Amino acid sequence: MRVLLIAVGNPLRRDDGIAHRVLEILDPDLAAGATALAVHQLTPEIAEDFSRHEIAVVIDADLDPGEAYLEEVLDPDRPALLGHELDATEVAALARKLYDWKGACLLCHVPGADFAEGGGFSDEAEGNAWRAARLIEELLASPSST
Amino acid sequence: MAERILISPVTRIEGHAKISIYLNDSNQVESAQFHVVEFRGFEKFCEGRPFHEMPGLMARVCGICPVSHVLASSKAGDALLGVEVPPAAVRLRRLINYGQILQSHALSFFHLSAPDLLLGFDSDPAQRNVLGLAERDPDMARRGVRLRQFGQRVIELLGGKRIHPAWGTPGGVLNPIDGRARDEIAGWIPEALSSVQMALGRMKALIDQFPEEIENIGNFPSLFLGTVSETGGLEYYDGPIRIVDAEGNVVAEGLDPQRYHTFIGEASEEWSYCKFPYYKPLGYPGGAYRVGPLARLNVATHAGTPLADRELREFKQRFGPTVNQSFHYHLARCIEMLHCVEKIDELVSDPALLDKHTRARAGQNRNEGIGSAEAPRGTLFHHYWVDDSGLMTKANLLIATGQNNIAMNKTVEQTAKHFVDPKKVTEGMLNRVEAGIRCYDPCLSCSTHALGKMPMVLEVRDRRGAVLSRYQR
Repeated sequence: MRVLLIAVGNPLRRDDGIAHRVLEILDPDLAAGATALAVHQLTPEIAEDFSRHEIAVVIDADLDPGEAYLEEVLDPDRPALLGHELDATEVAALARKLYDWKGACLLCHVPGADFAEGGGFSDEAEGNAWRAARLIEELLASPSST
Repeated sequence: MAERILISPVTRIEGHAKISIYLNDSNQVESAQFHVVEFRGFEKFCEGRPFHEMPGLMARVCGICPVSHVLASSKAGDALLGVEVPPAAVRLRRLINYGQILQSHALSFFHLSAPDLLLGFDSDPAQRNVLGLAERDPDMARRGVRLRQFGQRVIELLGGKRIHPAWGTPGGVLNPIDGRARDEIAGWIPEALSSVQMALGRMKALIDQFPEEIENIGNFPSLFLGTVSETGGLEYYDGPIRIVDAEGNVVAEGLDPQRYHTFIGEASEEWSYCKFPYYKPLGYPGGAYRVGPLARLNVATHAGTPLADRELREFKQRFGPTVNQSFHYHLARCIEMLHCVEKIDELVSDPALLDKHTRARAGQNRNEGIGSAEAPRGTLFHHYWVDDSGLMTKANLLIATGQNNIAMNKTVEQTAKHFVDPKKVTEGMLNRVEAGIRCYDPCLSCSTHALGKMPMVLEVRDRRGAVLSRYQR
């Protein structure tokens, strides 16, 4: 199965960019079979990238504390779309409507603790990046189980 | 009792804002204000940084039009160095700017404004978005996505990434383009041209459905300001400034953008973080002017590319030598997209584009430098002062959205006066007020130099300022 990994966030806002770190630490052998994109924000044209994959995993920092986790975006028809950027739900909805996409969209939450201006990551975010990487590696190892 | 209606946050624009509609004692709309409620302070925090860092820092002003800031910043840096930029770098800077304008206009037209135009201003707000558009006209929505993708790809191929590509630098650009990237861009042209022509044709056909909106959303006399080529044509990278009035008379010609401060003043109001620039000879607010797609078409005598030339002639024949209705920003945006695709085609067909000499190197030769360029939303000026060590001591950014601020406020007031019935406020009425703002496709992140997107609030207040009702999305 073709898997798309999209890391979302701004690396100049500390933990906001933790998704980019997840892409860096993924097992290269497993990651080699997936398409990886690193972006600051989700935009409408990413719907087309979704359409070319069976599974789209959006990796994003989470303001809520806790451990990294994966969840499936189950209700992709919520129409908000107020501005120039979209969330994973909206991109998935757009992909379904524009390209009749039948794939699965997963959101990988990576909780952070420090979203101030600057580089580097908090210990919490760094730990969660490794947990997120393991979860995604499990998915890449057996994507059909999704 | 006098009241105020407040729309906050404003939707389908970039940044945070609210609209206040003030009612008189007869419960009629008396005035309206468009408030920009976010503040970032880029001008302040770049003080003390080496001017060579400025293009990279300035790219962070905006995620939608970073290229414009990189270009204006690089040009200010060129002035500080006092160098002549190599021709290949100029071509590449022009190319990335066309990609920038194309992707930004595609987002504005297909994603943010087409839902109003194709689904109707009074349609269900839950459907009046790009998803609703995708249901109604999936081919058009797909083309919009692809067109923006093309513009983004041009930026990525040149700048190395889609957002915040700090590739422009004082003296030129960091890297030349290779043949493979040039060929990939060329490969997109036929599809892009077809999509733009489809959008343009659709927009021209739609216009007649909105006579009341055209007449009452941002239809007022003002000046229009934009960069023109040496022959008076459409120009986005470098050239003199021309100003025309509401009747098409040239008010000022051949103005040097390096001396913008001699003809543009900057006023401020306590209720907005956005500046209110004006044409100095006419004072504030009498010197109100508009910039951006409509202004550029109004000041230009021709486009300089075959298809856009034909469309520009038709535009002026149909609506007059100066088009005062801000509703026509949408059509102007479509014509500009066509022109951008043609210019991209022209540039990638030129073998000189591949020239490897893309940067002039020099030490600092001046303590003050100004750079300007046409951004998607209008003319952009970056003005830097540096000390003898090349450290920034002061910066002034004059942003396109800010230059439309007086016009946006007039538009909100005119639209509210015509469409809003305070006794029975409907969602469609408020949407038209928002749509007036969206004509300008404002980027408030840029104009306040802010973070995030721009939802809108509308409040009704009495003359003493008490909120009587509030609408928020």
